[in-house]
Amino acid sequence: MSAPGPEGLTLVKCSTCHARFTPREGPCPRCMSPSTEAFIVPGIGTVLASTALEVPPPGWEAPHLLALVELEDAVRLLVLPEAPLPVPGALVEVRADGPVYRARRVDGDRGGRGEGDAPGAGPSRPPFEPPR
Amino acid sequence: MSVHVASVGVGRFGKRSEGLLELATEAAGLALEGIGRKKVDLFVAGTMLAHGPQGPPALLPRLAERLGLDWESGFRVEAASATGAMAFHAAVESIEAGRASRALVVAVDKMTDQPTGVLTRELAAALHESEVASGATMPGLGSLVAQRYLQRHHLAPEAMGLVTVHDRSMASANPRAHLPKPVSLEEVAASRPVALPLRLLHCAPISDGAAAAVVEKGAGKATVLGLGQGFDALRITDRADLSSFLATRLAARRAYQQSGLTRKNIDLVELHDAFSPLAFVHLEDLGFCGSGEGPGWYERGWVQRDGRLPVNPSGGLLGRGHPVAATGLAGIAEIAAQLRGEAGPTAVARPPKIGLAHSMAGLGAQNFVTILGEAPS
Repeated sequence: MSAPGPEGLTLVKCSTCHARFTPREGPCPRCMSPSTEAFIVPGIGTVLASTALEVPPPGWEAPHLLALVELEDAVRLLVLPEAPLPVPGALVEVRADGPVYRARRVDGDRGGRGEGDAPGAGPSRPPFEPPR
Repeated sequence: MSVHVASVGVGRFGKRSEGLLELATEAAGLALEGIGRKKVDLFVAGTMLAHGPQGPPALLPRLAERLGLDWESGFRVEAASATGAMAFHAAVESIEAGRASRALVVAVDKMTDQPTGVLTRELAAALHESEVASGATMPGLGSLVAQRYLQRHHLAPEAMGLVTVHDRSMASANPRAHLPKPVSLEEVAASRPVALPLRLLHCAPISDGAAAAVVEKGAGKATVLGLGQGFDALRITDRADLSSFLATRLAARRAYQQSGLTRKNIDLVELHDAFSPLAFVHLEDLGFCGSGEGPGWYERGWVQRDGRLPVNPSGGLLGRGHPVAATGLAGIAEIAAQLRGEAGPTAVARPPKIGLAHSMAGLGAQNFVTILGEAPS
């Protein structure tokens, strides 16, 4: 994986089929072309789903927060979000940190689970969010 | 040349005092009794987890010693939580290829003797390492799938409880089920969070158990009509959609194609519902209902033993239990027993002619569909 700078996030583009994906060993996962090139994106994306693992694997503390984020390029990442857990729809900035991706909210930290919501503020609560 | 299921053997799933080999021997013994201990010339075994002194590397000779059988060939397969289905497919295909005429298939896992942390790590080995590096677990990623499904169809999390309530109700008739006590929607909704929206009672339990079957040349009420397997990206972040599994759709297409049948011919189904919302996803991916219609099928009782399409009459993963490798074969064994009129207390209301078993590895990276039934005359 190429080292990400402090600004932006490194992704990879296939020179043959133009698929975009996260940096990885080997050829393009879509067309198997060995010809790929890295490019930098701002790393701003939308949370599609997020959860708090109450029983994380050994070495992680509970609750362990995870989120599925979609970047502008339709590339998806599994990220470790800053608490409070960003709800689906939240805008986050993603940065690579060694083998993991970390994310922090960039739309004002509204509506995270376990924190008080300002009434009427933020993205509407998704239908699956349990009532508090 | 046709191949059929001549007998099945499933031991009790749950917390068992016996070890891996004893559990496998018990299930194999039941299946072999069913054919009067006739000679078997192929042995296929499957297990996923790799802990303890009775690990899988020498599984075949260890089991051979206990079963005292004189077979000519054998092999072990592994496909994570679809291991049992893969073992069954491999045995059938070996017979079709003329390599054998009668095979014993056994799939087993021993889980309850391990701490949760160890199991969490071992089960996560079926996920992509880049996601495991972030602390992803099977329920963690299962939660993301659940959310995408609920979001897409504007459902409240309570809808997922319908599957748990159904499976536990089916399991209450199954003397070999891990969790035979029925539960209510309220109990499911009040169970402790695992990875919200998934709660404890939305997740299959950790079980010990084994399943076995004897397959042989010939035709019967449980003839193999169609086998299908399908793959998908191991990284869930590489998939276009999380509320549907490509691997199931591919496996189903291949099995339907091979059998010349459509979903309309299927009289009952066993689904791999390791997490309750997966039952909706699978019903839709197998073509039984349209996108988002799964919950309605459960709500209206169409999946009951006397419903339009009985689903998981054995109790499914949430009721029968989930000793990972054994699960796929247990589902196939239930379908075979139902078709052969040997299901006993779990028998569906109308004697079925054709049944389908679905099995999923990990979070849907390699799925299997098995169609059994009366051979066309």
